[in-house]
Amino acid sequence: MNLGLRAVLHTARKWKKTLLVFCLLLAITTLVLSGLAIADAQEEQAEELRGTTGASFTVERNLSTGGWSNGSGGSYSIQEFLTEDMIQRIATVDGVEGYDASLITLPHIFNDKGKELTHENYSFYNYGSYNSQYHELFLSGRFEVAEGSHITDDMANGVMISRELADWNDLKVGDTLTGIYYPQNNTPAVDMEIVGIFDVAADKDDQVNMYDDSSYYDYSSFVFCSMEAAEGLLKGWGEKGEGISEAYYYVTDAAQLDNVIKKAQSISSINWNNFKLTANDQVYQNISNSLSDTGTLITTLIVVITAVSMALIVLILFMSVRSRNRETGILLAVGIAKPAVILQYVLETLLVAVVAFPLAYLSSKQVAGILGTLFDKAAENVIVTPEHFLLVAGGGGILLVAAALISCIPAMRLKPKEILSQME
Amino acid sequence: MSILEVKGVQYTYDNKKKVLKNISAQMEQGKMYAILGPSGCGKTTLLSLLGGLDSPTSGQILYQGEDIEKTGLANHRRSHVAFIFQSYNLIDYLTPMENVALTSKLPPLPILEKLGLTKEEAKRNVLKLSGGQQQRVAIARALASDAQVILADEPTGNLDEETAAEITAILKDSAHKSGKCVVIVTHSNELAKEADVILRLRKGELQILERIEQR
Repeated sequence: MNLGLRAVLHTARKWKKTLLVFCLLLAITTLVLSGLAIADAQEEQAEELRGTTGASFTVERNLSTGGWSNGSGGSYSIQEFLTEDMIQRIATVDGVEGYDASLITLPHIFNDKGKELTHENYSFYNYGSYNSQYHELFLSGRFEVAEGSHITDDMANGVMISRELADWNDLKVGDTLTGIYYPQNNTPAVDMEIVGIFDVAADKDDQVNMYDDSSYYDYSSFVFCSMEAAEGLLKGWGEKGEGISEAYYYVTDAAQLDNVIKKAQSISSINWNNFKLTANDQVYQNISNSLSDTGTLITTLIVVITAVSMALIVLILFMSVRSRNRETGILLAVGIAKPAVILQYVLETLLVAVVAFPLAYLSSKQVAGILGTLFDKAAENVIVTPEHFLLVAGGGGILLVAAALISCIPAMRLKPKEILSQME
Repeated sequence: MSILEVKGVQYTYDNKKKVLKNISAQMEQGKMYAILGPSGCGKTTLLSLLGGLDSPTSGQILYQGEDIEKTGLANHRRSHVAFIFQSYNLIDYLTPMENVALTSKLPPLPILEKLGLTKEEAKRNVLKLSGGQQQRVAIARALASDAQVILADEPTGNLDEETAAEITAILKDSAHKSGKCVVIVTHSNELAKEADVILRLRKGELQILERIEQR
């Protein structure tokens, strides 16, 4: 009788032992498969977060190295401003998803009939922008595009206005406006086309929504225009004292922020002595730490479950093999070689696994989602894949063989004579 | 020519207690040997050395003139000898037929029927058989193997008188009719009397006390 038949007969006829090992394997494998699915969902969530938390870096003039000068409005820094060339070069660094910069002007704005628009403040608070979707006011959700589109770096004279301003002045997307920085000083008039209208979602009076530079301006007076238009408004007035002081760059993967910054700093055409580069990833770091803690917890749970389970299986198999010392002795005494006896015991365990593993795959598909909710994962995001199954079946198979071999060691160290003595 | 030879064998427990002291004996096919002696005199130790379950401290066990240590103890157990134990030692999850099939490629049923088991009994769980039936299964397992030497350790020790007599007869037949060399460890004088040769172990020394030609 070969060892395969002996293994099958033992598995079938010692069904209580078989059932115990089967239930244990089913439970362990289900838990490990669920754990892997939760870990993957966690990783996916982290990856998604890395792309959506808006980790960024700011490039700004380094006022401490540029020197100061006195003018009619007081002292001002004579540090060089960021140029469009510098901004674009940094924007082309790998890993930069989008960018924006602000050139603030306080123009008066007129409709196509030459009438100044009705608004809340003395003038408008106008951001010259490359890509307004990356402006803090939009990223933070305080402003939301309601009609039309954002300002983009391929526009020459686009402008975005608030819903209130549009309503008060009967304006719509496509209408033309004219901006003049200082009408009394005959600064140039710049024609602009309304490309978008935004809703103000935030209450500016709330402390959390206070925006330093514009404390005196109502949100309805905020305007975003193309950078080229903003530069046009400045011509003939304050060109030397005004310019782009800061640019903001948003990265594709928050985890790669430091690398992207290093690449930006390696651009040799920019004199980095004149500019400061600051990472803005506090939000990501906070969430990332929380995610990392959850990830570590999940990984630890998987490892602990696997380790404890394997220890339990080794113990059960060890006790099973020990209770079969008599059988081992008989098999050895009738001339069956030790390797064949060991192989029979290993095969018996694998026979149970062959049934338990696929069933665990099916059960884990039901259980994983429920367990995932314990870790704040949406059940539909916790998916047990065939790859998980292959990993667990392969790894589990190897561990089981190892466990069965380990449990055979004490019995196999006995000499046949010692087994014979035990049997007497 | 002897099939099994014990040549100057010594066996010491833990390098202290000498169980067997330089013993020698020869065993031939077609004969039944009984090893007699008080408990703890080394009978089972000698049987285990003959069966390759253990190695002597010094000396040799020869099978057909070859040292079993050199040809391999596992090979000796597999090819040359078959054991019968006092407590039968059957595999409890196998039927009698399957127990016999452990060592034999021959159909087990005729052997079992020859030893008195019915077809139904041969397919039953071994643990549901009587002691005598279980011992018959153990003997069938030994006979069904190719082994020329049958080593039996107190084969009738757990059996009633009548069944013991039947088992003794089967073992005698195995020696005299099937040409096997049957070596029995016993402290039953009744069983020993049925042997062709009685080997008495006392204080580690082997004495061939009687040589009874019964054939």
